[in-house]
Amino acid sequence: MIYLDYSATTPVSYDVLESFNKACKEYMGNPNSLHSLGVKAKGLMNSATKQISDQFNVLDSEIIYTSGATESNNMALIGVALANIKKGNHIIVSKLEHPSIYKICEYLETLGFEISYVNNNEEGLVDFDNLRSLIRPETILVSICAVNSEIGIRQPLKMIRQIIKKENSNCLFHSDMTQALGKIPVSFHDVDLASCSMHKIYGLKGIGILYKNSRIQLVPLFHGSSKDNDLRPGTPAVPLIASSAKAIRLATQDLDRRETFIKRLNEKIVKELSNYDGIIINQTKYSIPHILNISLVNIRPETFIHAMEEYDIYLGTNTACSSGELSSSVMALFNDKKRAASTIRISLSHLTTTDEINRFLTNFKIVYNKLNDLVTK
Amino acid sequence: MKKLIIIKYGELTTKKENINQFIRCLNENIKSKLSNFNIVTNYDKGRLFIKSLDDNYDEIMNKLKEIFGIHEIIIGYEIATLDLAEIENILLNLLKKENFQSFKVDTKRSNKKINLTSIEINKEIGSFILKNVLNTKVDVHNPDLIVHLELRNNESYIYFTSIKGLGGYPVGTLGKGILMLSGGIDSPVAGYLAMKRGVKIEALYFESPPHTSEEAKDKVEALARILSKYNGSLKLHVIHFTEIQEAIYKNIPHEYLITIMRRMMYRIAEIICARENAKVIINGESIGQVASQTLTSMRAINEVVKLPVIRPVACFDKLEIIDIAKKIATYETSILPYEDCCTIFVPEHPIINPNMKKCEEYEKLIPYKDLIYQAIKNHEVIKITPNKKNDYEDIL
Repeated sequence: MIYLDYSATTPVSYDVLESFNKACKEYMGNPNSLHSLGVKAKGLMNSATKQISDQFNVLDSEIIYTSGATESNNMALIGVALANIKKGNHIIVSKLEHPSIYKICEYLETLGFEISYVNNNEEGLVDFDNLRSLIRPETILVSICAVNSEIGIRQPLKMIRQIIKKENSNCLFHSDMTQALGKIPVSFHDVDLASCSMHKIYGLKGIGILYKNSRIQLVPLFHGSSKDNDLRPGTPAVPLIASSAKAIRLATQDLDRRETFIKRLNEKIVKELSNYDGIIINQTKYSIPHILNISLVNIRPETFIHAMEEYDIYLGTNTACSSGELSSSVMALFNDKKRAASTIRISLSHLTTTDEINRFLTNFKIVYNKLNDLVTK
Repeated sequence: MKKLIIIKYGELTTKKENINQFIRCLNENIKSKLSNFNIVTNYDKGRLFIKSLDDNYDEIMNKLKEIFGIHEIIIGYEIATLDLAEIENILLNLLKKENFQSFKVDTKRSNKKINLTSIEINKEIGSFILKNVLNTKVDVHNPDLIVHLELRNNESYIYFTSIKGLGGYPVGTLGKGILMLSGGIDSPVAGYLAMKRGVKIEALYFESPPHTSEEAKDKVEALARILSKYNGSLKLHVIHFTEIQEAIYKNIPHEYLITIMRRMMYRIAEIICARENAKVIINGESIGQVASQTLTSMRAINEVVKLPVIRPVACFDKLEIIDIAKKIATYETSILPYEDCCTIFVPEHPIINPNMKKCEEYEKLIPYKDLIYQAIKNHEVIKITPNKKNDYEDIL
């Protein structure tokens, strides 16, 4: 199998799974129980949280466990919106967000919130002037992803934060860091809230993180806890939490070296695919090498993906969450419907080998020529 | 020229007879604290020098800030000559890294064979700097930079700034004491203050399962761990107190519960002292804070032991104690809400003026000597080191 859809999900790391198994077997207590099994489970959970918060240099209480990045996004956007309803009803998002952000925004519009979409320049970066002009006294939140999931555009969060806070110091800044964590260095200090997902970083599915600065109050989406300020009541998923600490630790090691390696693979693919007439590379200088987006001008991407599957090669369209539609990111960047309707995402990992890429390129050629002949004849 | 750390002793210099013993102890404490570092130390009656073979002076400085008996910590340079011309050349190089508009020179000359006096050397070096460094002037009252020069037997030392050490005496120079460590705010502070005066401590904790929880014990371990930074490592004695406490609760009039309980604790502390060769009992009692800490109560409780009981925070206000607890970072742990054995079985109206005769009479109602014997026999000793091994390391 040649798996090239790492931005959709990643295979769980052996060590992470071991942690999960061990925690399931040896730490079965409910961390809320008084007895020693509970205390032991709580000890593991607190140590895991401490390890994560130390790594990001934030407080333990600022790490909230969720079921994944989509839930984190919901908690952040809806939580901030409802908590600040008296201060304003205006929210700004970029045009390069994950579909879950747009769906949440649609929901917030039904509650009377007004959503603005900030432009980006031709390189994909958020247009700073446009952002400045959009921020108003009643703007309560800006949400901009750290790395776009389709084209891999990396946004300068620190600068964006400065602009936001200068225009309106009360306006909060959320970033969906799902595609950034484990690929590039991230800092929670650049933002007020951040969403992350573990299954994108060789962890388990079913757990994510919301970072929330301790000064910020959210209206909880879930109720049922006896504790104050408990945004996610219920029995904590201790094994998932322990596995997350491990996943984050392992995934954030060696980022530079991994990125250099992945960049080489990326360049190899780009060099080869540039030779095809019917292929457009959707990349700018701000794309991270882990995500490579291309448009097949003449071929339906779904057909192409299934055809590649015959060779045991797995690629992505748009993002796994919105397959079959126009790529909103490619549209936002290149404003070309045809290009946006035919995108394929090749996402790479440090686990990818040069040999895999060679085999991919060989099979790519076979499949491409076969399908291209069909449509052009 | 070699970079090095120069340690100035604090109050030690007032000790005439025992000074060697004090400095030797300080040297041992420093070496043990820095056991993970590749260092060489040497010392004389005035200064202790630390040379790092790995040049990680910043990390070493941070460690030194946790050692009692140090008045000042200085990063300086050793020059293997007493020749002023050579010193001046090296000084000029060092000054290039400093940013200053005014300066003064402060020379100490412990080697009296040198012809010039300290003041003459100050003048000589001062005029050299004026000649060779542009845009600078001498200001003896409020200079940007003080150039310290010390001329010793065969070497001289240059340094510019110093940071304050913790002061006090090297831990261990005055023997050992047993600290009654409860988990509250006061007792860790009492332990810290005792260590500051050179007393090496071991801690004594009373647990009463099932009335007290494992978490309460973890909390005490965490506090002991913070204190162990100053103490080298720390022995924590855990006494299983349940039987004694239950016997008291069942048999003794409730207004005397606390008084009798404290008397039992004191007796046990004294036995632990004898076994560990400790000279004093140390605790966090503060006059008037609770019923068992009125002067009458203290007297009634103190009566059962012969050893001196040191109460470092006896005359501090609660807020003063909290300030120190925050400074030494025990406060956050102390306020965790777990019951210790002084807070369970609390009578509604504990007696504030206990009668000693009555204490003795009531104690006859329980076989306390046997109970204490059992408790001592079963007591657990935990060795606490500053760095906790993470129990979950393999899983995280």
